[in-house]
Amino acid sequence: MTVLLWVLGILALPVVAFGLYIGFVFVKTFIKHDPSADDENAGAEAAAKLGLLPATRQDLDRPGAADPAAEAVLQAVRGGDWESGARFLAEAGRDWEERGRRVSILGHEAAKEDAWLLAWRAARPGDADAALVNAESMIYLAWDIRGSMQAKNTTREQFDGFHRVLAQAREACAEAQALGGDDPNPFVVEMPLAMGLGYSHKDFNELWDQAVKRAPHHLGAHQSALQYWCAKWRGSHDLALSFGREAAAKGIPGQLLTLVLLEAHFEYEFAHEDIDEDEYYKRPELMRAVDAALLDLAAAAAEAGDPKARRLLPMRHMLAYMLYWQDRYEAAMEQFKLIDGHIGTAPWSYLAGKPRFAERYTAIRDFTAQRVLEASQARDVTA
Amino acid sequence: MSSTLRAVRALILLAGFQLLSLVLLGVLAAVDWAAVHAPSSVTGKVWLVSVVLAVPVIRGMFMLRLPKLEEPPGVPLTEEAEPRLWAVVRELAAAAGTRAPDGIILTADVNASVMEHPRLGGLLPGRRSLHIGLPLLTGLSEAQFRSVLAHEYGHYVGGDTRLGPVVARGRRQIQRTIAHFHEKADKKVARERAAQEKKSARRVAKGKKAKEIDTTGAGATYRAMAKIYTWYGTFFLRASLSTGRAQEFAADRNAARLAGRDATASALREIPVLANAYDFYLDRYATLGLDARTMPPHGAFFGGFGDMLGARELQLAEMRAELPEPERSPYDSHPPIAERVHAVESLPDDGRADDGRGAALDILADARAAAAALEPAVLAEELLGFRRAADWADVLRSGMTARLGDLDTPLHRALAVYTKSAPTLPALLKVIDEGHLWQLARRLPLSDEASAAQGRAFREFVRPSLEGLVHTWVISELSKQGLLDWEFSWSESATVVLPGGDPEAAGEALAAAVAAALADHPDTAPLRALLPPVPAGAGTDTDIESV
Repeated sequence: MTVLLWVLGILALPVVAFGLYIGFVFVKTFIKHDPSADDENAGAEAAAKLGLLPATRQDLDRPGAADPAAEAVLQAVRGGDWESGARFLAEAGRDWEERGRRVSILGHEAAKEDAWLLAWRAARPGDADAALVNAESMIYLAWDIRGSMQAKNTTREQFDGFHRVLAQAREACAEAQALGGDDPNPFVVEMPLAMGLGYSHKDFNELWDQAVKRAPHHLGAHQSALQYWCAKWRGSHDLALSFGREAAAKGIPGQLLTLVLLEAHFEYEFAHEDIDEDEYYKRPELMRAVDAALLDLAAAAAEAGDPKARRLLPMRHMLAYMLYWQDRYEAAMEQFKLIDGHIGTAPWSYLAGKPRFAERYTAIRDFTAQRVLEASQARDVTA
Repeated sequence: MSSTLRAVRALILLAGFQLLSLVLLGVLAAVDWAAVHAPSSVTGKVWLVSVVLAVPVIRGMFMLRLPKLEEPPGVPLTEEAEPRLWAVVRELAAAAGTRAPDGIILTADVNASVMEHPRLGGLLPGRRSLHIGLPLLTGLSEAQFRSVLAHEYGHYVGGDTRLGPVVARGRRQIQRTIAHFHEKADKKVARERAAQEKKSARRVAKGKKAKEIDTTGAGATYRAMAKIYTWYGTFFLRASLSTGRAQEFAADRNAARLAGRDATASALREIPVLANAYDFYLDRYATLGLDARTMPPHGAFFGGFGDMLGARELQLAEMRAELPEPERSPYDSHPPIAERVHAVESLPDDGRADDGRGAALDILADARAAAAALEPAVLAEELLGFRRAADWADVLRSGMTARLGDLDTPLHRALAVYTKSAPTLPALLKVIDEGHLWQLARRLPLSDEASAAQGRAFREFVRPSLEGLVHTWVISELSKQGLLDWEFSWSESATVVLPGGDPEAAGEALAAAVAAALADHPDTAPLRALLPPVPAGAGTDTDIESV
């Protein structure tokens, strides 16, 4: 009997050994590091080390921190206090760009619910500010009705509503322009209409002349006009790029008009799937355009006195992206540090749908962070 | 293959359609005979199975018997009553080289056709009758009508071969058989049609009395056999298609020879236009008063078509210029109209452009009497009992008043749900005044996009349809109060005449008042001013449900 047990025991040994080996392999695979995951982790770690936030904590709606003053005004108008809104806009004075920003904030709100705007317009008939907000709100409203789907996924009802409201918006723009005096914003506000309704180049140029006559270096006007000249709207790649070059050439440092050229290049790259960004952004013209934009930005920042000034942010977002493709990681990281946390703007919002573009952003940023850390470690070693 | 060979092949296939069941039975018998040599247990089973299979085949043989061809509803025209028409008909038959019909029936279709009661599945000729649609006579010139007749005769003359007529008859018979199968098998379709016909007096008015529903096509074996015959039938139709198409062209050439090239081409262009115009006429004029149980004056139900054609000559000219889209069915022997017109137009000029310019209707001894006689022959019994209007303006006024009287729009239903009481216009205005219009609008049938929209976007989605609904409601209210009038016209659609002088200004005032009531700052005062004063206490005590 014992002999039998011995025999069985000896026969069992190889089985036990095999089992142990399998268990070992299993555990080994389980704890083994994936080298690419390693890299990603290192990137995320590097970003964290530099004080940057994970994808889940990025604000995808705004290009920068919320404006508490604007939030307070919106709260007030929602409660029916249209006078707060009127004051908010009036306080921008003759700073046309700031005025344009405030009109956009109020216009977005009025596109959703406009009881306060109706009250404002009823209380102050012929008020240029109210007319301007009204025009802006109708344009946002038209696009809300159309929705953001491609034409084939947009219903007849949506298109009809879109065009009906756009036609009304055109009248509202005319009213705002008649009341607006030397304010360029009523003309800038009309530019998206030119895209939606397909103005002829001649009609658009007349609108453009009215805007630049009043404010030759209005950044928002140039950005809107660039959209019109893009191939995706009513122009072409060539028209958009030459418009961007002209805008960059005529601006003086601090006016941020160099951003228009960067945007034209970005639109061009984005519209061409076969473009290799790694090569495109390193072309001499692009290198020069980014250098000029950095100088422009530095002048504007000095003027603003605050590196996170709202006005500078669109430029910083675009530069972060382009400096990354130009392998200028240190310079890119300077921008990332100032924009991180609020990325609801171009170029990031173009890269993927919401909320997925947050990951595209962090991938680019983390790669940059890692290169920056490696470089500083290398410097430490040589030092 | 020469055309004769093709016709012979078609003839064999045609016989095959009749013999298909026999062939199937023969195959079964052959299998049974072969099974005799098998072990006896197998033989028994094979025989059993073949008997089961033979049942539907034998049933199928009976299926091929079609219901007797029925003459369409209409008025028989005797030679004594219509000597000129008969003379034309006989003259053309003789010229075409075929038998003249044994009878002529005046129908209410935009069509003329020669019907032959088939014998032996279409292999032998039978009694012929000619059907002439009064609307067709109304719309065509004499030469065009002659061309249509000559074309129809052409089918019986045959195309390039002596066998042509037989093939044509066979094709017709098989098409009928297939149509008959479909009719029986598609019970659902039949039921739907019956329901439709019951629901709408308008369709009944077009002379289509509701058919009884035939339910014999229910069984699976029936459907299986029908499938086999349909398959064979379509195979035959395809095989004889070129013969059929060639026949159409030959019939057109025949028509051009007998009635003139230009008349034939213009008749081909004219008929689709007339068919459209006639549908339009029935819908907008002849049946306009049926909601109010009102018929046009005696003889005008069909007689008015000519008045409309005369008044809308310009619109018809535009329609004529466009040839209809090519037909879709691969088994239809009719080549596209456009192709036929071009074929006829490319014939050499025969110098007969000015033949028979007079109206085809003048061939009849008394067109008005014919139109009046047609009414009791083709219209549903119910319609004949309706009140006869004094004139067309009366038809329009009664019809519109009846339609507007029992108006039930989505807005009515939404308001009823919202207020939990009968929907009235004053109740609607009250809801608007209280600022609840847009909550009410949530109860309208909305698209996904509209119901997902909020605030201002929602209002913009809904406003256009609300404007239409409120406008109609106001019109209906004015109509109920007897404040509206209607302007009748043969050449344009009827226009509403609002109270208060200048109709254009009144129309604009109404549109502006509706827009004001639906504006973001609603103002119902202009609308209330347009409406007649409401008797105190009527319809104002609605219960507004708070949302």
